[in-house]
Amino acid sequence: MTGSVLSPGTAATILFGLFFLFMILRVPVAFALGLACVPILLIEPRLSLMSMAQETFNAYNSFILLAVPFFLLTANLMNVGGITDRLMTLSRTMVGHWPGGLAQINVVLSIFFAGISGSSTADAASQSKIFIEAQRKEGYDDSFSVAITAVSAVLAVIIPPSILMIVWGGILTTSIGALFLAGIVPGLLIAVAQMATVHVYAVKRGYPTYPKAAWREFFCAAAKSFLAMMTPGIIIGGKIFGWFTATESAAIAVLYALFLSLLVYREMDLKGLYTALLDTGKLAGVALFCVGTASLFGWLLAYYKIPEAILQGVTAWKMGFYGVGFFVAFVFLVIGCFLDAIPAIIICAPILAPLAKGVGMDPVHFAMVGIVSLAFGLVTPPYGMCLMVACSVAGMRIRDAIKDTMIMLIPMLLVLALVIMWPGVSLWLPSFISPEFLR
Amino acid sequence: MNGTNVTTSPSPLRRLIDGYGRLLDLLLVASVFILIIPVSLQIFSRFTALIPHYIWTEEMARFLFVWTVMIGAMVGVRDSTHFEVDLLPQMGTRGEAIARLCGRLGILAFAIVFLMAGMEFTRFAWNRTSELAELPLWLIHMAWPVCALTWLAFIGPHLIADLKIIAGGKP
Repeated sequence: MTGSVLSPGTAATILFGLFFLFMILRVPVAFALGLACVPILLIEPRLSLMSMAQETFNAYNSFILLAVPFFLLTANLMNVGGITDRLMTLSRTMVGHWPGGLAQINVVLSIFFAGISGSSTADAASQSKIFIEAQRKEGYDDSFSVAITAVSAVLAVIIPPSILMIVWGGILTTSIGALFLAGIVPGLLIAVAQMATVHVYAVKRGYPTYPKAAWREFFCAAAKSFLAMMTPGIIIGGKIFGWFTATESAAIAVLYALFLSLLVYREMDLKGLYTALLDTGKLAGVALFCVGTASLFGWLLAYYKIPEAILQGVTAWKMGFYGVGFFVAFVFLVIGCFLDAIPAIIICAPILAPLAKGVGMDPVHFAMVGIVSLAFGLVTPPYGMCLMVACSVAGMRIRDAIKDTMIMLIPMLLVLALVIMWPGVSLWLPSFISPEFLR
Repeated sequence: MNGTNVTTSPSPLRRLIDGYGRLLDLLLVASVFILIIPVSLQIFSRFTALIPHYIWTEEMARFLFVWTVMIGAMVGVRDSTHFEVDLLPQMGTRGEAIARLCGRLGILAFAIVFLMAGMEFTRFAWNRTSELAELPLWLIHMAWPVCALTWLAFIGPHLIADLKIIAGGKP
């Protein structure tokens, strides 16, 4: 190190120690991250408090992150504009007659939702309002309802479009188009795993089913939601063919949702629009402010070259391809318990990238392992956004929903293991449709 | 606190803060809505000849986005919606109030630091303009001190409410 007062070890101890201390004291995560940086900024003569403003500014002054409010807004518009209702009817005609019909619909609607919105938080917020009360009425256990709503919401960041893929692509300069394509198969596999779990639960506990819908009903529902179902095609197609950038694809999703709700379905009024905009601004504000202070935190870690020091230790273990794959997943699963996914990517992905490169992992494969692991982090306490949202809507404590959530995570973790060990699961679709994305 | 202050109508200061909060809500709604415009312009100008290629759309979108995030962060302190990690077991009403107070004192401390950092940041940008649209940069850097001051205004009522509970009053 040249001219730093603190050694990397001391700096790391101060940063992480204070961060955890403040977090235990119930300081919100965004503020705990920022406060942990203050002593360093004051001690180090080359840094000043202004670095705090400058680094947070640099984080927000980003065209890529603009995709976050757009995807949140899309989800909110879908709910007030009648798009969600139509997709729900369609899901019911498809899987309503299976054991645990309503819970199966919950998962299938999450798949559709995931294809349109890229935000799991938005998915959890809207589906909790729809399903938890309805499942309660039909005799499902509360903890099961909360758990299935939360775990199915994680599909939104695995099935494209996805905020996490956009952020990952922006930070590690991996092709976002390739990431979008790579997420489809793992996302569908995870959905199948969840539906199988629901099946087992439903048979064991005798959850109700709906009568089988006639083919006619299915085609009617499909026709009614056809325009809404076009959204994923427009977004992913536009990105792959290079018509627009990732952020622009999110703006297109907003415009299309506005078009459907205002002009085609005509179910949205001005009040609905106002609420959708306000909810979007509020959620985007708190989620993204955290990204700013996390970036400052990550910037200080990089200033002391702490990531390199950690990496050197890990490289000494001489792990093979599978070893690194599972290690990456493990790191992101653990970090995901404590941090929001976007700051976790900003801090950890650049640290781990050289490790993955060292064993010849494809950058897209590496990204998928990271993103799927971080998506699971959205339901693991203490900091599991989707679980927190679902619990707060249901009015129950996180502690009471943990058991069922963990049971549902087991089959999902098996899919993650498959994604790690068999790169083809992620890479097959991008190499089939647009091989030029993969180097 | 003595037990005689049975206040029915909020104090003028409190009303001022509430009104300011409502104004921020409106600004937040407006900025999220307006954000769509420069990004859409950017797409349409690429595919149609109807509008010229504005070079400032990207920068405008980024700057408005900065303000949107900062206003959202201000409102988040008012609504107590900034994400917390609840590691400690559930405590009684009073214990919860003490825990909340700890967290809020953290916000207060950060707001003071952020105010100092933000003022320096704004002074630094005083005579500079942005690269593309040539906007005065202080207009954007201002968001930092404004955000910190707003936090200080919003955290006050929360702190008082928590202290009242701890002192044994009703929530």
